[in-house]
Amino acid sequence: MVEDEQIMRQVRDGEVGRLEVLFDRHHRALLHYFLHLTGNRAASEDLVQEVFFRVLKYRRSYQAENTFRAWLYQIGRNAYLDHLGRRKNEVAWPAEAPESASPDAAPDRLMEEKQETALLRQALAEMPPEKREVLVMSRFLDLKYEEIAAALQCEVGTVKVRVYRALHELGDRFFALRGEPLS
Amino acid sequence: MNCENIREQLPECLAGRLSEGARERLIEHLEGCSACRAELAHLGIVWRGLEALKLEAEPGAAMKGRFQSTLAAFETGLEQGRLEGPPQPARSLHAPPRWVWQLAAGLAALAIGMIAGRALAPRPQAAPEIAQLQGQVESLHELVALSLMQQQSPASRIQGVSYADRMTQPDPQVEQALLYAVSHDSNVNVRLSAVDALDRYAGDPNVRRALAAALAVQDSPLTQVALIDLAVKSKDRDCAPALRRLASRPEADEAVRQRAQWAIGQLGIEGESR
Repeated sequence: MVEDEQIMRQVRDGEVGRLEVLFDRHHRALLHYFLHLTGNRAASEDLVQEVFFRVLKYRRSYQAENTFRAWLYQIGRNAYLDHLGRRKNEVAWPAEAPESASPDAAPDRLMEEKQETALLRQALAEMPPEKREVLVMSRFLDLKYEEIAAALQCEVGTVKVRVYRALHELGDRFFALRGEPLS
Repeated sequence: MNCENIREQLPECLAGRLSEGARERLIEHLEGCSACRAELAHLGIVWRGLEALKLEAEPGAAMKGRFQSTLAAFETGLEQGRLEGPPQPARSLHAPPRWVWQLAAGLAALAIGMIAGRALAPRPQAAPEIAQLQGQVESLHELVALSLMQQQSPASRIQGVSYADRMTQPDPQVEQALLYAVSHDSNVNVRLSAVDALDRYAGDPNVRRALAAALAVQDSPLTQVALIDLAVKSKDRDCAPALRRLASRPEADEAVRQRAQWAIGQLGIEGESR
């Protein structure tokens, strides 16, 4: 499989039609990133389109030393911040939990797992956006710390600290909601 | 290594991303530090719990189409740019994309060409060229309409709908984009404009079915009333079930219920079987 970076170099050098391959590879994960941040499907789909339009528009500024994913999420983050600036009062959060328990789990256990998941979702939704974002990037998108650092334009060491603190704070909030403060 | 350094590595440990050496050092520390073991246990509960919050949502079917239209419009804009000469200085982030201006310039040039051709060329030979030019202008209208309808700003999307409305020939891609806007656009004004622009397509049975479906799921009373009016205007009796459901739905807006009742009378579908 041709690497993302090679394809992006082709796009940068004028073969803009090649961007379709990168769209196919990344638009689902990018949609999930925005869904985690906005909780709004229509806005998230619009943001995905906006990101790929910006990739086209700024294709000449792509530097090959970073992975394409890091650059893509750097653009995605800027698009999200612009969106947030325009619609800061319209942010909603997903109400429905995806099913997490195994289908053959006992009913009591199933109910308990659902409650735990709901509490964790609430705790995550209440996190400050910049902390929620590093968790989404590291836990849900599986981005490497180097990629997160490039997307957030900071040092890898800073990402390490931020992810730990965000996870710790999420734990504090989650256990407090369960009635058992962590620290 | 102190506790602080160790704890900062815990998320990577939970993700299975630590190198072998770092993992061994961490385990060595954990064996002698109950506070860090407790921290790992607590973070582990949260980390594993997050698995259940991973999204499974699939992108909507229209997303790829929207991207392809944008890409095609961009490529056309680039081609226009190459024909017109060297690139201009970079524009600011908030300025309209250059390709929009290039397309507009293309439209203007074609329009001037058509007028000049009409004035200067002998009549009998001019007809095929004019027809061809009209076709090209129509294609550019379509391209601009589709591109604008995908923009982030509602004002641009309304402008796109307006372009679509100006097209002399109905077009399947534009028709789909308008139907998508009616059902999914986040802005009510864009939805209303799209309903108006669909007037000319309302004779198409597929469009009627789509409009009836849109009426059933629409949450904006203004758009619901506009859809009802369109159904009456186009004598669309296929939407009878959707109208009846709306007229009898207690949670529907009062004005919408009354309008649906009025439409049922206008279309003469009161007594038909349900």
